[in-house]
Amino acid sequence: MRDWDGGKGNRDESLRRLREALSQSKSDLSRSWKIYRRSLLAMLGLFMVISVSLVAIFAEDIAVEHPYRNLQDTEDKWSIDYEPRRADPFSEECDWHEQKITTNPNSPLFSEIVVAESDDKVGDDNRYYRDTLSVIQFIKLEDSLGYDLNLSLLSIDPSNSSLLVLSPELYGNTSLYAGVWVTYEFDNEEMHHWWMPDGYDVCIFGTNDQGHDLFSKVVYGSRVSLKIGITVATLTVIIGTIVGSISGYFGGRVDEVIMRICDIFFAIPGLILAMAFVAAMNQITSLTIPLWLGILFPIFVLAAFSNTYLNSTVPDDDQISEQAMSLIMRYRGVLLALVGFIFFVGWMPGASWPDFFGISESRSWRAFAALGILTFLGAIILADRRFFLNTSFEGGLGRIKDSFDWTNPWRYLTFRTLAVFVSLALLFSFSGSEGEEIVLIKDFDRLWKVQAALIFTGWPGYARLIRGQVLYVKEMTFVEAARSVGARPGRIMFRHILPNAWAPLLVAFTLDIGGTILSASGLSFLGLGADAYTAEWGLMISESRRYFLLSPHLMLYPGLAIAVTVLGFNLLGDGIRDVVDPKNRR
Amino acid sequence: MTEESRDGEVLIEVKGMKKWFPIKGGMLSEVKIHVRAVDGVDLHIKRGETLGIVGESGCGKTTLGRVLLGLIPITDGSVLYDGEDIRTIPDRELRRRMQIVFQDPGGSMNPRMSVRSIVGEPLQVNRLAEGAELTQKVADVLDSVGLKREHMNRFPHEFSGGQKQRLALARALSLDPEFILLDEPTSALDVSVQAQVLNLLEEIQEKHGLTFVFITHALNVVNHISDRVAVMYLGKIVEIANTADLFDKPAHPYTHALMSAIPEPSLEKASRERIVLSGDVPSPADPPSGCRFHTRCPIAEKGLCDVEDPPLETIDFDDHAVACHFPLGPGMRLPVVDDAQTQSGDDDGPATVVL
Amino acid sequence: MKLHEFVVRRLLLLIPVMIGVAIFTFAIAHIIPGDPAAIQCGDKCGVIVDFTEDGEPISAYEANRIRLKMDDSVTVQFWRYITDLAEGDWGESLLYHRPVVDVVKDAAPITLEMSFLALFIAYPLGIILGIISAVRQDRMFDHVSRFFAIAFVSLPIFWFAMMLQLFLATGTEHGGICDPIFGTEGGCFPIYGRHDPSYTYPVDGYAWYYPAGGTGFHLVDSWFVTDEKLATLPSEWGSNWLLFKDTLFHLALPCAALGIASAGSLLRYMRASLLEVLHEDYVRTARAKGLSEFRVVIVHACRNALIPIVTILGFSIGGAIGGAVLTETVFAFNGMGRVAVTSIQYLDFVVIMGVTLITSVIFLLSNLIVDITYAIIDPRVRLE
Repeated sequence: MRDWDGGKGNRDESLRRLREALSQSKSDLSRSWKIYRRSLLAMLGLFMVISVSLVAIFAEDIAVEHPYRNLQDTEDKWSIDYEPRRADPFSEECDWHEQKITTNPNSPLFSEIVVAESDDKVGDDNRYYRDTLSVIQFIKLEDSLGYDLNLSLLSIDPSNSSLLVLSPELYGNTSLYAGVWVTYEFDNEEMHHWWMPDGYDVCIFGTNDQGHDLFSKVVYGSRVSLKIGITVATLTVIIGTIVGSISGYFGGRVDEVIMRICDIFFAIPGLILAMAFVAAMNQITSLTIPLWLGILFPIFVLAAFSNTYLNSTVPDDDQISEQAMSLIMRYRGVLLALVGFIFFVGWMPGASWPDFFGISESRSWRAFAALGILTFLGAIILADRRFFLNTSFEGGLGRIKDSFDWTNPWRYLTFRTLAVFVSLALLFSFSGSEGEEIVLIKDFDRLWKVQAALIFTGWPGYARLIRGQVLYVKEMTFVEAARSVGARPGRIMFRHILPNAWAPLLVAFTLDIGGTILSASGLSFLGLGADAYTAEWGLMISESRRYFLLSPHLMLYPGLAIAVTVLGFNLLGDGIRDVVDPKNRR
Repeated sequence: MTEESRDGEVLIEVKGMKKWFPIKGGMLSEVKIHVRAVDGVDLHIKRGETLGIVGESGCGKTTLGRVLLGLIPITDGSVLYDGEDIRTIPDRELRRRMQIVFQDPGGSMNPRMSVRSIVGEPLQVNRLAEGAELTQKVADVLDSVGLKREHMNRFPHEFSGGQKQRLALARALSLDPEFILLDEPTSALDVSVQAQVLNLLEEIQEKHGLTFVFITHALNVVNHISDRVAVMYLGKIVEIANTADLFDKPAHPYTHALMSAIPEPSLEKASRERIVLSGDVPSPADPPSGCRFHTRCPIAEKGLCDVEDPPLETIDFDDHAVACHFPLGPGMRLPVVDDAQTQSGDDDGPATVVL
Repeated sequence: MKLHEFVVRRLLLLIPVMIGVAIFTFAIAHIIPGDPAAIQCGDKCGVIVDFTEDGEPISAYEANRIRLKMDDSVTVQFWRYITDLAEGDWGESLLYHRPVVDVVKDAAPITLEMSFLALFIAYPLGIILGIISAVRQDRMFDHVSRFFAIAFVSLPIFWFAMMLQLFLATGTEHGGICDPIFGTEGGCFPIYGRHDPSYTYPVDGYAWYYPAGGTGFHLVDSWFVTDEKLATLPSEWGSNWLLFKDTLFHLALPCAALGIASAGSLLRYMRASLLEVLHEDYVRTARAKGLSEFRVVIVHACRNALIPIVTILGFSIGGAIGGAVLTETVFAFNGMGRVAVTSIQYLDFVVIMGVTLITSVIFLLSNLIVDITYAIIDPRVRLE
């Protein structure tokens, strides 16, 4: 029987203590918030970071267009020599559509009524993007030689504004059999937006040389940048923490070797190293199975760390009724799920639910699913704390049986279990089978390579930082005290040293998100980052260099976007530094 | 009771304990220099007693304690616990039987852990209790050091210095050990709180039948709490005796000097002579030859003291051992030197004793 | 530890790092896909150029492989690479068809001139503003300068460079702001390049002719152009001063772009360092002695606050070389950064190795000098 079936007094006592513990962490947070709030710049930074994140999450709703879609024309209907307009901000030209119309009644393409529509292949996966344009007015009508024709030869179908009607003079006119060019102003349903006042539904930042709406590209670019920034910073922190804490805790020869390797990394300028690394990876199209470990291992270490950290701050004894405990657990799980959802669905460009299970198209789906389920069950068993309590092989089976607690499902909602879910989801989303080997990342595109390169060049800084912190905390008496009661190195590391060493790490992490965004955009600027015409800010600036004097707006907005995002993270990091600074703790 | 019947027998025996710390020399020099923190100590601790260890800072008393508990590996010699070498006792077993209370009560507790976690940690890592049982045990042990159950969810910074030391004691007691090493447990506390903690210690020792080793530099505290006292100088024990004997009849000149440094509250005795030792404590990396104390000793004799290391030998009464070629008898005084020589402060010359 | 022992120790520590860097660059160059033998012969790889002793035909591709000794094992190649490096043979560029040493020798002074000038501007600026900011802590000046410091650190350097070009190096019709203010034509500064093109022209496909060879630092070289050489130049370049001024004007924007971030971070470091020192007891003592506030800050506090700043110098040199990659691309300087970018784009792995190696040597040596300086200023360091 569980505790909550026991006496009422017991339960009240438990709840009271739970409240106490919660108010403790709440007062801790509110004190931090009070310190943080003191700085206007820090508040500004927080505001910037939140707004950029919101823009990234709601990019579809804010952007007026698909970032790669040509506003003015469609690929399959446009003549090849046409050079799309670089429309200025707020100009009307980006609503102009130029279309070739066949006037030969004998041609299979001919139809008396011509549909004005946009039908384009866009995006990473070449999905069709189709919508109907309503014609508002005609701008120009030319024959195939470029001579102007009378605009009255065309009219708009009164019953359907997306249909053009050719006058009889036009069709059947043998001199025009090559076709005519019509330029008309269209009204795009897609460009009406909830946040735009009437009459301003034009491309507010103009279009680029490909006719892509710049505003939409900048908005979508925030996803790419934030994704790169956060993924790279997180993974570098994890790798750096693991390496640095090993180096600091064990010291001696291990430390010496790791630090010399770090020296080598420091000796080569980061950007040049990252460039060379991207170039070295350029022929690699997919990541294969051994790299699973590269993702799984850090996640588990992080999970172990968080688990012990949470345990150390939230008193989790069985005296606190498990009912109440389950509330925390549920809250914890929902929160983490939310974060994971936003991170993996919101910020991953083009990711959607079908992508997560894209593996189902693969032939080895069944085998893989079976493997996945086995892994999952095994991981659940491993995730249970009881299993670790007496790690010996005697009677292991019985203990595994004991470790399943069917009466209380909530106890599985620990961070560790969630980490298992997340890592499995990661595996499912990225893996597929190619030939004999199982591939982790199918489309190992250049953005992935940029991230890999930045992780590769970034971890030594964290390793050094964490090593210093670990060396410092290691000398504190409470570590010796823990050792004197018989605590093992793992416990000392995760429960005593790291929780007291994370403060500078948090600051460095926040600052590093900004730094990573800068480096990634620098790589893209040099042509080693994102693929051509991707909505990536650095690349957009690079592409705008050709029109430097003619259309400076093309580089202005992406640059401002980078500056605002990075500034936001830098200000945020500064604010956090003030909060964790012991001088301000009083 | 078995505990009481075994009272008085030897619990820990230290034989020739040495702890040398290597320090790195220059890059080009091969010869390693060692700091001889503990350099050949023989000692026994009886069950149920309190052994005080006194000495100046840097004399190796803290290191002695750490090695005694097996927290740092011993360089040479052995520590026998209940007749067994501590290196052969499993770590978990050892931790259950021997515990330590640190000097800085605040620093010895992880600021991010609640009292329940701190006090319960020994039970947790040794897998002695879990969940409700753990909470109950923590509550009991908190109760025994005079803290309340409500304190369990607080964090260390919410407690006063004396309360923190109680917490540290509670942590040590949670495993129900036989032996606790108290490493200057009161030196970071206010005098008023010191007395409370000392009384608590005595009370707990009574209740649990504990054996204490009490490391301190404060002689008055030692006088108050110890049954026997060992005096350390430069990694060696120079004198060990029952507390009363040591304070009444100190035999080693260093002990004399220490005794004279105890402030006397009484006005009548204010004129008692105060022995000021000349010079600094020599470096433990390069200890003097012969008797370690001869560089500062007022009665050292050339040719003997600087050549031959005096062994720790029992003198006239039981349990009073001293390591000196010329142990002072009861009532004997050290020779007195005038002020001028004190000022000149010559290291190798005879020690100065100021009236 | 004695100073000389410290220096020797640091030098010895450099050796494993240098070997590590060499292994590293070698590894990266060999991971990079692309066959240098195939790149060198291009579309003529199938052409028979020679016959073996047995009469077997050797294609150009195979000849390249033999010439580059690519059939040896990786370890042999690596050993040869190391020994060649030691002998000063860094290989020949596949792209420029010149020895890598020459390519680097041409490119290094350009980058160094720019980076050093940038730091030369950034350091005094950052330090002085940092001092003012610390002295006027929490006043308006402090807030404004801190905001700008952090804002400049956050700017993408290439974008900032382009904005400088746009506003300071173009005419009013493109958005330039110089013309109405200073009465210039087409902006205050040249938009890109190292020199006015009217007196320099490319020779050897890569290196640019300059009236005086010498150091490669044209700020220096311009003073050593002989009168005969000056006479051959167009009339508007008739004096050393004009040549110097031309170089300086061309360097102004790149240096501003490169230095502004360093100045920003220096301001922050200096402010923090000085604030810490200002709370020390000896500063209070100095005040108590009745010294003027200026003397207290400049003589007593700054001297100690500057010591940690010295260590940042080493890192900012590395940062400047990394940043040079971007500024050189924007301003079309043929420095090491641009060479690195080009060689990576064209997979010229010999140059990649050379450039990586030389940048790390520069970085390590400057750090060594910084460390030694630090050890001289602050003897406590030597004790670690």
